[in-house]
Amino acid sequence: MRPSRAAAVHATLAAVSVVMLMPFYWVLKTSLTGENIFQYPPALLPRAIHPFYYVDVWYYIPFVRYLINSVIVSIIVVGGNLVCNALAAYALTLRFRGKRAIIALLLSCMLIPFQATIIPAYLITKELHLLNSYLGLALPLCSTIVCIFVFKASFDAVPRSLIDAARIDGLAEWRIIRHVMLPLSTGAVATTVILSFIWSWNSFLWPLIVIRNPEMQTLPLGLSTFLSYMENTTGALYAFCIMVLVPGIGLFLLEQRRFIDGLTSGATKG
Amino acid sequence: MALSVQSWSPFKPSHFAGLIHYEELLFHDEVFWKSLWNTVVFMSSSPIAIALALGLALLVDTRIRGRGIYRAIIFVSYPLMTVAVGIIWRWLYDEKVGLINYILLSLHLTQRRIAFLDSYEWAMPSVVVAAVWQIVGFFMVILLAGLQNIPPNLQEAAALDGASGAQRFRHITLPLLRPAIFLCLMIGVINSFTSFDLIYVMTGGGPNYATEVLITYIYRVAFVLSKFDYAAALTVVLFVFLLIVTALANRLTGGEAGAVDAAE
Repeated sequence: MRPSRAAAVHATLAAVSVVMLMPFYWVLKTSLTGENIFQYPPALLPRAIHPFYYVDVWYYIPFVRYLINSVIVSIIVVGGNLVCNALAAYALTLRFRGKRAIIALLLSCMLIPFQATIIPAYLITKELHLLNSYLGLALPLCSTIVCIFVFKASFDAVPRSLIDAARIDGLAEWRIIRHVMLPLSTGAVATTVILSFIWSWNSFLWPLIVIRNPEMQTLPLGLSTFLSYMENTTGALYAFCIMVLVPGIGLFLLEQRRFIDGLTSGATKG
Repeated sequence: MALSVQSWSPFKPSHFAGLIHYEELLFHDEVFWKSLWNTVVFMSSSPIAIALALGLALLVDTRIRGRGIYRAIIFVSYPLMTVAVGIIWRWLYDEKVGLINYILLSLHLTQRRIAFLDSYEWAMPSVVVAAVWQIVGFFMVILLAGLQNIPPNLQEAAALDGASGAQRFRHITLPLLRPAIFLCLMIGVINSFTSFDLIYVMTGGGPNYATEVLITYIYRVAFVLSKFDYAAALTVVLFVFLLIVTALANRLTGGEAGAVDAAE
């Protein structure tokens, strides 16, 4: 490529990157200085950096409580997804009558977004007396069709002879999954963990409906409640925002390749 | 086991009260029509996002240094908590001290400050910009995967035959990217039905229903007004609408979804 052209590409991408990063920078700056809340025109570079707003967060809101709630729900969801989807995917690798019909049904259901089913989901959860509980929060997210197909693709690649050998050795079916299939599908496991974690960590509409008790609120819910009585004018809101975003960004930076692959394979398998 | 996945999916008919709710919805409910229209507006922003993402994917696909970094920067907004993203954008759009108003004023693009999220005309475009900002990196990554699946020798052969860059893009890249573009389109459509978090945090559906979409309306009817039967009727409409749009998109892009199904 000609150097002038490469420079043009660099310039465009750099400009786009600035646009993409500006919102983060602005909120980070506000949370660290608070200066552009009361000051106009806003300064582009931070002047006096202080962590006071982060301290405020600890006093204003039960951050740890929200964090624990979010973590518990995420653990249930990730565990549920691993178990349910692996079992379902294993079943789909076997031969049985009506398999094609079930796969077709699953594929067409994949187009239905969860948000469109909140009314029946809410009524069912209510009937099960799971409102205001961790299980109720986690249950609808505990199995996702996308992840079933991620697992199925990986299980299909396991040689038949290996499974037959395990069966002849007298392994129970669930132990075949546990000791033969899963160790051979680490990629699918990682994808499922990442996808289900992100879904549960970020989910907002479902907790908003199911949780009435402030003690049980998860992080996104806590954030929106805080917004509703603080409005835009406190640095603590932005400090809270940053604290909530850090785990997601951290995970992304650590596991970038896996992360992007996971999220896109979640989409392309579907 | 497969059925356990489905237990929450099937929609339960909610009543035997005849079609009263549908009648009310179709003929007497202005907010419903407004929210349907807004959903369509929101949806129509995804071709723009896809076009932007395609441009970015082409740029990132060139052999330059640091493309991995650019890719990561553009993608990073996608997996973040949407509630937090909404708060960030509220802050940028702020009427008095928001960054966007400041930039517009200093560039003399506007004389007075604009209350983006509180004005009837600006609220929807503002929300759409934030939504595009969040999803464009995701589209870019999907399109990039599609680009990298195109065998390079096709491009080389065409170049040897004297095809210009634009011609190669038009006749090789675009047709071969069709499945990836279709996928983005589907995600965009579904996204327009599910963007509850962003709208709830940024505007709450207001001002005067300017940003009310079907899903926020369903939430309001069911959980604020406690009219579950009516919300159920709305949900059915949402389903029908989703089916129609999916079928249309499928027809437009030449039945790629059928190919995806067959591949599975």
